[in-house]
Amino acid sequence: MSSGSPSDSRSLRKYFGFDDAGGSAVDRKLTELKRRKTIRRLWTVLGVVVGGIVFYQSLLTTEFTLGQLFTQFPFFIDALAEYFPPTTYYGIPFIDVGQYWNFMQEAELFRASGVTVAIAFAGTVLGLPGALLFGILASERVVPYPFNFLFRATMSFIRAIPALVWALIFIPLGGVSPFTGVLAIMVDTTGYLGRLFTDELEEIADGPIEGVESTGASKPQVISFGMLSQVFRQFIAWIAFDLEHNVRVAISLGLIGAGGLGLELDIQRRTFNYTEMMACIILIVVLAGSVELASQRVRSYLRDDDEVEQTGILEALWTAPRKILESTAGRR
Amino acid sequence: MSTLTVENLTKEYGDVTALDDVSFEIEDEFVVLLGESGAGKSTMLRCINGLTEPTSGGIYLDGDPLEESQPSIGMIFQQHNLVDGVSAYLNALTGSLERTGFLSSVFQWQDRADKLRALEALQTVGLLDEAHQRVSQMSGGQQQRVGIARALVQDPDLLLADEPVASLDPASAETVMGYLRKAAGVHEVTALVSLHQVNIAAHFGDRFIGLRDGQLLFDVGQGELTPSLIDDLYGSVETVGLAEQNSGDGSGDRTEPHAEWRVEA
Repeated sequence: MSSGSPSDSRSLRKYFGFDDAGGSAVDRKLTELKRRKTIRRLWTVLGVVVGGIVFYQSLLTTEFTLGQLFTQFPFFIDALAEYFPPTTYYGIPFIDVGQYWNFMQEAELFRASGVTVAIAFAGTVLGLPGALLFGILASERVVPYPFNFLFRATMSFIRAIPALVWALIFIPLGGVSPFTGVLAIMVDTTGYLGRLFTDELEEIADGPIEGVESTGASKPQVISFGMLSQVFRQFIAWIAFDLEHNVRVAISLGLIGAGGLGLELDIQRRTFNYTEMMACIILIVVLAGSVELASQRVRSYLRDDDEVEQTGILEALWTAPRKILESTAGRR
Repeated sequence: MSTLTVENLTKEYGDVTALDDVSFEIEDEFVVLLGESGAGKSTMLRCINGLTEPTSGGIYLDGDPLEESQPSIGMIFQQHNLVDGVSAYLNALTGSLERTGFLSSVFQWQDRADKLRALEALQTVGLLDEAHQRVSQMSGGQQQRVGIARALVQDPDLLLADEPVASLDPASAETVMGYLRKAAGVHEVTALVSLHQVNIAAHFGDRFIGLRDGQLLFDVGQGELTPSLIDDLYGSVETVGLAEQNSGDGSGDRTEPHAEWRVEA
């Protein structure tokens, strides 16, 4: 790679594709392709360098070091033993379920579960009238075309903001409390359940509407008997579905202080009581999973068709954490 | 006891003339409306019922002009047009909506008389025992009988039926037509029924009105429905000829089922 000699630099330029394109069309094309490859490689190198710098800065900012991992790892092992306190049953080593149970009793976790369910239920019931009103008025069959979009837009706006953010917005109204949680879920229900109602109303058949019209019924009667009676069962099924969703939201609202199981989990986290944290997590998973199972059973009973997915008990439990997060982030 | 008068009825959809200056008068009869698809049968029934507004001409029931849907006209649809998710009883009860206030109807606080009427109507069509069943769990023929019951609960003066048996198998079709005929008899109402099946029409009708291209082609009484009229109506269609032959075979005992309904009535 000694430079200086003209033939060397010539062959180097040729290798990178910056040589004078001489000769035939094929030669020129080959040179051009080499040049393109060179440029592409330069960009790749630049990308790796920039990525590396950003990565290094990120590590500095977050103070992430491998050393920290090594020094802290024994503590994590200790914590694991607290998460899953070991004991022996008849000589067989197992997790000490009794410790969880004692804490659940001691901290009245079942009462906290009740608070979580209460937040979800109260919020759903309070949001229901709004959902019905907006859901029905947003249907083109009830309110003519340009005006129904007023209600659609309102619901879209509500849905654009996740329940968690609604709770933050409502803190001046109700403080950091279950009350604020109920408010947030109420608003979320109006936007989300209302949208489900509207979608359901889009699919109704014209025949029964005409049938009821032909009896000389008034407009409100045509809406109730021709339209709503077609979707009554589906509406109940959607309410069950939304209640299930709202229980998950209520759990996550607890994490920012809105009471119930989530709040208890947050308190234990702050005080590094790992066994108690795990007890909360286990109860959260059981609560979310069983609410989902109950809601599914109700829905599959109400729906004639097989639209409702059926999950097993185990699946409902281990998908619970993911679904809690999805519900928290809002939907669609 | 009622008279339906149709005077110079014309209905145009844009450039298409669905009904062209049709006039007739029917009184306490079971009248069958015949004609090809697109001949104007459905448009005629929808105009009389007030679901469609005529371009010109008048429709009168006992001398009063008909302009909008009202309980004095009961309509039976080809596709039943029932609310699938609720019981036969509640569907029949929707026939009483016009005379019930909104809240009363929502909470099912209809008059006891209306509730009894709904059950009696279901009894008339032979479905009293099935009154609690959801319509979606019933057969096509049963659903159409619930449709008849709903129309009866309106306590109508006039029954309209738009191809009520078009989607049914022959046996169910005959059963449903039998109940329709019986219902009209029990309630002493005028009935105007559009049909595609010439043999069923000949079997059940008192009078026959034929429409072709929106115009009145014939208006004849029982026994006057000849094969040549049918040929005029549909053109020379082989299978219609066959159907005509069959109804001709059955014409001997045609009076018998009629007598039977009269007895039940």
